[in-house]
Amino acid sequence: MSHASSYPTASSAETSAQGEAETPLLELVRVTRRFGGLPAVEDLSFGVRRGEVLGMIGPNGAGKSTVISLIGGALAPSEGTVHFQGQDITRLSPHKRARLGIARTFQVTQPFAQLDIRDNVIVGALFSGHTRNRREASEQADAVLARVGLIGKAHLKGDELTVADRKRLEMARALAMRPQLLLLDEVMAGLTPREVGEAVRIIREINQSGVTVLVVEHVMRAITGVSDRILVLHHGRKIAEDAPDAVLSDPRVVEAYLGERYARERAAQQARLAQQVGGAPLPAEQVSAPDEADEPGEGHES
Amino acid sequence: MARQARQTPDRETAADTDRADIPAPRESRSWLWSLGIGIAILAIIGLVPLTGDQSTLSLWTFILMYCVLAQSWNFIGGFAGRAAFGNVAFFGIGAYTVSLLLLQNKPFWLGLALAPIIAGAFAFLLGLPVLRLKGHYFAIATLGVAAALGEIVQAENVGAPAGEISLTPPDLNFQISNALFFYGFLVVSLLTLLGTAWLTRTRFGYALVAIRENEQAAESLGIATYWYKVGAFVLSAIPTAIAGGLFAYWQLSFDPVGEGGAFDVTISVAMILMTFLGGAGTIIGPLLGAIIIEYLDQSTSIAFTSIHGPLLGALIILVTIFLPQGLVRLVQELLRSPAGVKQSYPMRIKQGVQRVTRFILSNGV
Amino acid sequence: MAQYVVNWILLGCFYAAIGVGFSLIWGIMNIVNLAQGSLIIIGGYAAYFSYTLLHINPFLCILVSMVVGFIVGYIIQYLIINRVIRAPILVTFMLTFGLDLLLSNVMQAIFTGGYRSINTTYSSAAVNLLGAHIPLLNVAVAVIAVGLTALLSLFLSRTRLGNAILAVGMDREAAQLMGIGVANTYALTFGIGSALAGAAGAMLAMTLQFSPIFTGQYTLFAFVIVALGGLGTPWAALAGGMLFALAEVFGPLFPGFGHGPEIGYGLEIAIAFVVLVLVLIVRPNGVLGRPFYS
Repeated sequence: MSHASSYPTASSAETSAQGEAETPLLELVRVTRRFGGLPAVEDLSFGVRRGEVLGMIGPNGAGKSTVISLIGGALAPSEGTVHFQGQDITRLSPHKRARLGIARTFQVTQPFAQLDIRDNVIVGALFSGHTRNRREASEQADAVLARVGLIGKAHLKGDELTVADRKRLEMARALAMRPQLLLLDEVMAGLTPREVGEAVRIIREINQSGVTVLVVEHVMRAITGVSDRILVLHHGRKIAEDAPDAVLSDPRVVEAYLGERYARERAAQQARLAQQVGGAPLPAEQVSAPDEADEPGEGHES
Repeated sequence: MARQARQTPDRETAADTDRADIPAPRESRSWLWSLGIGIAILAIIGLVPLTGDQSTLSLWTFILMYCVLAQSWNFIGGFAGRAAFGNVAFFGIGAYTVSLLLLQNKPFWLGLALAPIIAGAFAFLLGLPVLRLKGHYFAIATLGVAAALGEIVQAENVGAPAGEISLTPPDLNFQISNALFFYGFLVVSLLTLLGTAWLTRTRFGYALVAIRENEQAAESLGIATYWYKVGAFVLSAIPTAIAGGLFAYWQLSFDPVGEGGAFDVTISVAMILMTFLGGAGTIIGPLLGAIIIEYLDQSTSIAFTSIHGPLLGALIILVTIFLPQGLVRLVQELLRSPAGVKQSYPMRIKQGVQRVTRFILSNGV
Repeated sequence: MAQYVVNWILLGCFYAAIGVGFSLIWGIMNIVNLAQGSLIIIGGYAAYFSYTLLHINPFLCILVSMVVGFIVGYIIQYLIINRVIRAPILVTFMLTFGLDLLLSNVMQAIFTGGYRSINTTYSSAAVNLLGAHIPLLNVAVAVIAVGLTALLSLFLSRTRLGNAILAVGMDREAAQLMGIGVANTYALTFGIGSALAGAAGAMLAMTLQFSPIFTGQYTLFAFVIVALGGLGTPWAALAGGMLFALAEVFGPLFPGFGHGPEIGYGLEIAIAFVVLVLVLIVRPNGVLGRPFYS
């Protein structure tokens, strides 16, 4: 069966096993990771449910990228365990986790610079365990490239792309692996609002086709638009894990992420709106955030 | 509706980028070109024995020997991108395997068959610990092993006092014998060439290149990087050892260390330089580099397997500064036209020169 | 036994001198300077000719060698190595190898491969203590070597220039943003490393002998010393030097070992390499080391 749809889907065998619907696809249990004496991630426990989009946010230095590396296998936890599909993968190397169905992107993009984009994605398709045939991988690569909108540039070399395209390439390469769990590490950093909208659309499509997604982001607006639930990190600890509205209204989150001043302003703004509308405060999305420029800068040390 | 492979797409517009029905750009056929050129070069070289001139034959036999060495190194250094500085160890192992068997009156072909096996096993066992080392350390470790092997062979009087081997010539007419060795090297070079071209089409080749470009990313995509590196290392040992075996019976007399020795570190460096000059990771790069450098060396000195110290030194400096990507890639850059736009050749070359200059400058401080 | 200990200490300090320049260049610029051996020998010749032609006091010759070494090193870095400093490390590796090949062969062509040394009336002056024969010249050299190590350490940590060098080593981009001229700083670093090599060469000329044929030998020694001791601080070179000297001096007590601290004989080199490889595998950062200078 060659590609019936133009999009790779998670293997159908998994989605029919409803008996496992309750076990989270991914679970971190009391994970701590220290560098030197400093904990980047501390006593973190959470689960990602199969089929959901879990957003992870937090100020710079909160430990977001460390979490991705801990899940992907580039880092091993100092304490705690990581479980995937009910299996303890704490000791598994990155490539074995990739074979199990975990795909990740890198915050600082890591293209294969001298290879053209097509080959970049072909590599993604060839080693995750579902095909070893070059021709098939090539076809799958084309399909994925078309999905993320890079097919017209397939012959460009990895290091000839714009930032936005590099992010798309990262995603395409990860998608070619036909993962069960996709870890997106700040794929929207550095994108224009239009590009962010594109990225959100692509992520939604990916999720609808059956891939569970964990999105680490810094851009508030984008993540609320795409996540089923949001997890908030601060100084390596979880300070909230809930639906987007609840999280955004959580005063601890607002204060930690956006600062006291914003917290006060927002409270005042909500009160005003409540008076105007004469009812309950509006859902978080409709309350405007201060100018994007006031947000903490796009850093690279989650 | 698939377009013919040779058509180049029209200048792309923003709208085009997102359309899913744009046919994929044509598969690159450059590997076939490279392979064809490589075979042609070897075929032409193959005519040398017809001249009947023994010194020319000797010259080109050396050139072919280095072709094999450079092409083999290309597997670990060019494709996998690891700085293996001690591949001469496999050369020496091949030379001494064949020699020891010959000294015990065992047939030559047996030694020649055993050499790659022993060298391959050695590469595997050595690779296991050493390929865990990073960059410089891996380079020095392999260098050290090669040098140490030479010293050990000398100190332990392997095969002869101080390891200075002296073999009895084969029972053949001198000229026929020389021609046979020439063709021996030629065949090995051809096979290695074919192997290299084949590698670029396989999954294994993709893994190596991915590891070279970005090992961390490669691992995250499911590539067991460690084992592929070991595989490339073993692969690089095999033709090298065969070359060593041929060398032993051809020269009949050699030392373990010193200039032109079976474990001479300069040979290791030479094969690296040749591959770099021609283009590491390309199909015919090592071939070209070996021909150019060995020809230059032979015609400027009377030494045999050694390469003039200062000449080699100066060449290394020049190549690393001005030609780190090698000749083949230089030519590719000069002839390349940007995506989707057909350009005239003078234009391409002009822009290619700009690109290359920028690249060279970007390597500097 | 006392003799062995004396030999060990004296040799270890001398080896520190060989390793410390190499360590600086590697630690700050991540360059494994395969031309270090050539730079040492250049220092040797500078001292030799200063002594034989200009009749300068041998101890001052060390200074001459350092100056010559600095100039040569600065130029090499500024003009040549700086051209490839942002390329992958294999490229710089090859470049310094080519440099060593070139320098070594040019010296052989000019000066021939014969051994040279500085012989003075007090070259064999010695003291006998606790049954050990202690050559005074070697003691002086050892003291100077340790002194140079201390000077370098102070220079790096206490002076503005030294701090600039450390800054560039830790984070090139940040240093550039702070206005530190990276090209010059690199050249300065290499110059200092080269000056130290020059000093080692002069000391070599005074206590032993040297020849341009063995540049590779000394580069190898420097590498082993630094690999053993680690990067991170000049004192690591001393640690590495002591460890290496330990193997060399006490090694011959074990059967099958080669000769003493001579050059290029026996299984010494092989064992050095094997030890090196083992150390690299077991403790890649060396005994005292951290991955970078700090």
